[in-house]
Amino acid sequence: MTWEIAIERTIRNNVPRVYNVLEKYPYILDLAKELRKAKLEVLNNLEMYVEQTVESIKRIGGVPHVVGDSREAREVISKIIGDRKRVVMGKSMVAFEVGLREHLKSLGKEVWETDLGEFLIQLANEPPSHIIAPAVHMSKERAEELVREALGDLPPNSTHEQIVARVREFLRDKFVNAEVGITGANAIAADTGSIILVENEGNIRFTTVSPPLHIAVAGFEKIVPTLPHAMMEAMVQAAYAGLYPPTYVNLTSGPSSTGDIEMKRVSPAHGPKEFHLVLVDNGRVKASKDPDLKEALLCIRCGRCHLHCPVYRAIDGKWGVPPYSGPMGSMWSYVVFGDPKPSLLCTHSGGCKEVCPMKINIPRVLEKIKARAWS
Amino acid sequence: MESLRSFLKQSLDKYGMPFPVDKRVCSGWARDLPHGGETIIFTSCMYQIEPVVPTLSKFSSMAGALTGALKGLSSFAKLVKPPKEEMERAYTILNNIVNALKRRGINPGYLYEDEPYSGALLLESGLLEDFADHAKKVASMLKERGVKRVITVDPHTHNALTRYGEFIPFDVEVVNYLQLVDVNRKIDGEFTIHDSCLYSRFLNLRDRYRELMSKSGIKLNEDFLVTGRETSTCCGGPIALINRDLSESIAEKRAQDLNRLSNRLLVMCPICYVTLSPHFKGEVKDLAEVIL
Repeated sequence: MTWEIAIERTIRNNVPRVYNVLEKYPYILDLAKELRKAKLEVLNNLEMYVEQTVESIKRIGGVPHVVGDSREAREVISKIIGDRKRVVMGKSMVAFEVGLREHLKSLGKEVWETDLGEFLIQLANEPPSHIIAPAVHMSKERAEELVREALGDLPPNSTHEQIVARVREFLRDKFVNAEVGITGANAIAADTGSIILVENEGNIRFTTVSPPLHIAVAGFEKIVPTLPHAMMEAMVQAAYAGLYPPTYVNLTSGPSSTGDIEMKRVSPAHGPKEFHLVLVDNGRVKASKDPDLKEALLCIRCGRCHLHCPVYRAIDGKWGVPPYSGPMGSMWSYVVFGDPKPSLLCTHSGGCKEVCPMKINIPRVLEKIKARAWS
Repeated sequence: MESLRSFLKQSLDKYGMPFPVDKRVCSGWARDLPHGGETIIFTSCMYQIEPVVPTLSKFSSMAGALTGALKGLSSFAKLVKPPKEEMERAYTILNNIVNALKRRGINPGYLYEDEPYSGALLLESGLLEDFADHAKKVASMLKERGVKRVITVDPHTHNALTRYGEFIPFDVEVVNYLQLVDVNRKIDGEFTIHDSCLYSRFLNLRDRYRELMSKSGIKLNEDFLVTGRETSTCCGGPIALINRDLSESIAEKRAQDLNRLSNRLLVMCPICYVTLSPHFKGEVKDLAEVIL
């Protein structure tokens, strides 16, 4: 199956579903408006909110780390992991951004992506082609071939269900025996230090609960003022991705604990003993102070703009610097990696800005980035 | 990239257009319009020259061997001219628009060979400083000529001129012909439609031209995933200069989607017409050819 067929099917499956969700749950539109305001408030005072988040994380027994760039992120995370060997990861764009998986593998760790799409592109050693559906470029046949080659024990002409079942069987053992779970965060509440993660597979719930050490790695822009705002971001992201209600919303506020014996607080109980939040700058503070770029930081990674963009549709998922692709990815390729070239391919079709839940005028942001590509 | 930029700037200096073009091609459609005036029609030579732009972008696309190709292009620049049939078509469209304006009591002037280019290509390519410099020259020229109102006829020019105010002081009123004209014919037929991205999603004219179409009796064959406000897509034309292959690939896909709805296509932009025509199986017409 070619990219054209894969993307056509994805559009037919996903685009109407998002419209149906928004029609059925119109309150999402109001939440999106409120969320935009809240996120702008954070972007206008980003460093202050980072400090508040750090204090909140400490207060709930977590360990905050504020890092400037990818190298520092890799160093800090390697240090937290120490001698532990077995690592499971739950889809994180920022982990990819800082090159974490490959770095940990180079240190001799056994690292497994647990989101099915991420797992498939890990097996294929390919970059993600969509922000929430990283293996959207892959046909069932290709996925089947990859899984059979890597894990074996898959009958010929396996169904989608059989492929998923084989991966589930393989990863179950990895979850149970993992010493470290690494996730991203869809939102971080500055007031409570809680992180919110939205998912449908259940892999993130496993990753955040089963290993004794949970490390969340996220960009500064994921901070929102309060826990209700963080929940709001989860709901809006899921709805605009066409997956509403989301099957799981995970809220983590520090390490696990119990007070069931004489109400003495003891940690851990069944979940992790340690919780670390690694907050990554990588150009985000600079972008927040740049009026041409600030809007890019409002992106909540729903992936909707991709499917309304003629360039993304035509270019085989390879528009932008991985993990960032599509219209949002063209903005983020510059924000994070300083690469303005992807912006030059924007045709200002404008569908992206129409469907963006945060109402980011993406073509206008890209126009400003284009100008920097020429200089 | 620098080669492309200097090519565009040199062309603007030498020919008054981003590509080498004989300005008589631009002005040849007008015979009896007043020279200048407070209200002028502003074509930016878009309809007239656009039929040859695919040929030009073949040479100048950044995907190609740029420097050498541009040198080659400059040497036979004056020979580049749209085919007669295409030029006549463009001239008909422009005359239809002027006649429709006259029917509404608007008698615009025209600057003929002095008409400047809007700078749209500079703006859309992100050459923002060059666009601002160019806009300054155009604004100054319009002021000298006493122009108070310009009537645009295509989305790219309308977009560029309505954005001058973001870059320079500019107090000339910019209005698009679609806001002024009324339909002149009853049409009994079905078309599908390729909306101009700029008209539809940036310039708030989508409802206006649909109203005109509806009034003319045109039946539009639509599919919300193909022609919806949020779901329709670009023809690919605006990036031909940067990446011609990608532009063609977008155009091919777009034409295929539209062909599923009809073999008669309405467009309202000269770039869309030129970009989609080679890929669309059937008839492609500009709105101004059909309803005016």
